[in-house]
Amino acid sequence: MLKSAMDKKEKAYIIARLLRNPNVDVGQLRELSLSPHGYVNDELRRVVWPKLLGLDLDTKMSAHGKSKLLEHRDYNQVVMDVKRSTKRFPPAMKEEHRGKLQDQLTWLIMQVLVNNPQLHYYQGFHDICATFLLILGKNIGYLVVDALSRSHLRDFMDPDMHRTNTMLNYLYPILDRADCELKSYMQKAEVGTIFCLSWLITWYGHALDSARQTVRLCDFFLASHPLMPIYLASAIVLHRREEILETECEMCYIHVLLSNVPTNLPYEELIGSAQQLFHKYPPSELAEEAEFDYYDSKTMKNFAKFEKGIGLHKPLEKRLWKDSKVEAESSQTTLFKVTMWTLTAAVGAAFIAAQYVASSLNS
Amino acid sequence: MESSSNEHIDYVFKVVLIGDCGVGKSSLLLRYSDDFFQESYLCTIGVDLRIRTISVDDKRVKLQMWDTAGQERFKTLCGHYYRGAEAIIIVFDVTSENSFSNVLRWYEEARQLSRQDTVLVLLGNKSDMADSRAVSTERAQSLAASLNIAYFESSAKLCDNVKETFTATTRKMMEAYQKHHRAHLPDDLTNSKSLHMSQPIKSSTSLNCFDCSIM
Repeated sequence: MLKSAMDKKEKAYIIARLLRNPNVDVGQLRELSLSPHGYVNDELRRVVWPKLLGLDLDTKMSAHGKSKLLEHRDYNQVVMDVKRSTKRFPPAMKEEHRGKLQDQLTWLIMQVLVNNPQLHYYQGFHDICATFLLILGKNIGYLVVDALSRSHLRDFMDPDMHRTNTMLNYLYPILDRADCELKSYMQKAEVGTIFCLSWLITWYGHALDSARQTVRLCDFFLASHPLMPIYLASAIVLHRREEILETECEMCYIHVLLSNVPTNLPYEELIGSAQQLFHKYPPSELAEEAEFDYYDSKTMKNFAKFEKGIGLHKPLEKRLWKDSKVEAESSQTTLFKVTMWTLTAAVGAAFIAAQYVASSLNS
Repeated sequence: MESSSNEHIDYVFKVVLIGDCGVGKSSLLLRYSDDFFQESYLCTIGVDLRIRTISVDDKRVKLQMWDTAGQERFKTLCGHYYRGAEAIIIVFDVTSENSFSNVLRWYEEARQLSRQDTVLVLLGNKSDMADSRAVSTERAQSLAASLNIAYFESSAKLCDNVKETFTATTRKMMEAYQKHHRAHLPDDLTNSKSLHMSQPIKSSTSLNCFDCSIM
């Protein structure tokens, strides 16, 4: 892992050097999201983000025609939400330019929805899409969101929000292990989890005013397990423990306190804390308590498939691979078998070759 | 945020705003709590809460005002908030026929989750946009009358009739509270002119926590 003291320039150089290898290891790239500055600048992000999802940018993109987009059941809702998203664009941006980008945002969202008829639009999806559009542009942005909507964001796009709700349930089991007193206080006040709903489903894009902070968190989430946003939520709550305990033990006061995210939170530190919480209390261990059906979750299934597909040496959650119900294990077994077969064949061939050489020498 | 110190409070009421996306629920609350209007307001995800203490008829009333997401899929999560609310304001946009025709659906939703003494109110917003008005005051009034609920019209943009709507709703909540509690209190207590306590009175919402537990 990189030292936190490493400056931006140095880190940018290291990332750029890694990217020279066309088959760069995703595991290595992932680790770089954890140290300060993430992927440092937007030029690097444009290359790194698609790589984190194993995307081939040379793939020919087939865009759906306008009539298909207009026919979609969620079209009107998307148009309405995009219209109200001006705050997500840089304030200095000229209105004309912003208008163009908003049209592109509608296009991007609708392409993803038409391309994946099983997905249901939710308010907040447009917040995530806005971030990707601004950094990656409409075409690559579309490819990235299209992939994400089938993995990290998949469960949010169910016909209802049941799974999303059970993902939020992770908060209390994590708090219980990390700070029992705080958890009891919040439970006594019946704060619930709705204060962090938008954090989870918009990757904090809806709650944060700073676009730079949102982008930095995207570095982290793209390189992390899909449940990482809820671990970060726990880290933020734990960080604000004194403020919470000083607030009257009533739902409304604590809800107001927590749902307004301060602008000066130490995000780099919180990313580290979230990562630690994740390793100490991995999602599969808390699933039962959170009533989250880990093996029925489409996000988890598709994410496991994705990790298997890119052949990671260090999967994000080792237990996920150990647990038998996920296909990943069989792939490891297959890989092991293939390796053993190759090794046996190579040894056999070497033995035959050696015998041949020996017999030639003898003759 | 309002301070949660031990100031004298006579009532604590929970008010929930529901209605289609984009009718101006968040704008109404922003106007009422912060006296501010923003032409383009972000859509609400889940619920949002604002707290304001006001004086109505010499009583100090703390209002917990819940703003809810308009998208259908959030209903199951937000439904918990209507439960136990002292008032539910059904908001529609007077320039949108569609939002008006959905009022009945929202009304059914509110009826199912409200208590017997919950005050229901219909509010037509964006009254400043006279040129694009699609729903006349008369039509809205007649719908409200058929549902036996009060009707108000407001403009969050021009700050027209916003405060008045909330004050009138608060007065109705106070009346409903008095009526309901008088019916359930022993005779000697019903004669007391008003309720003065050193600690804030818990709203019945807070007392019936099992009813309003959030998820």
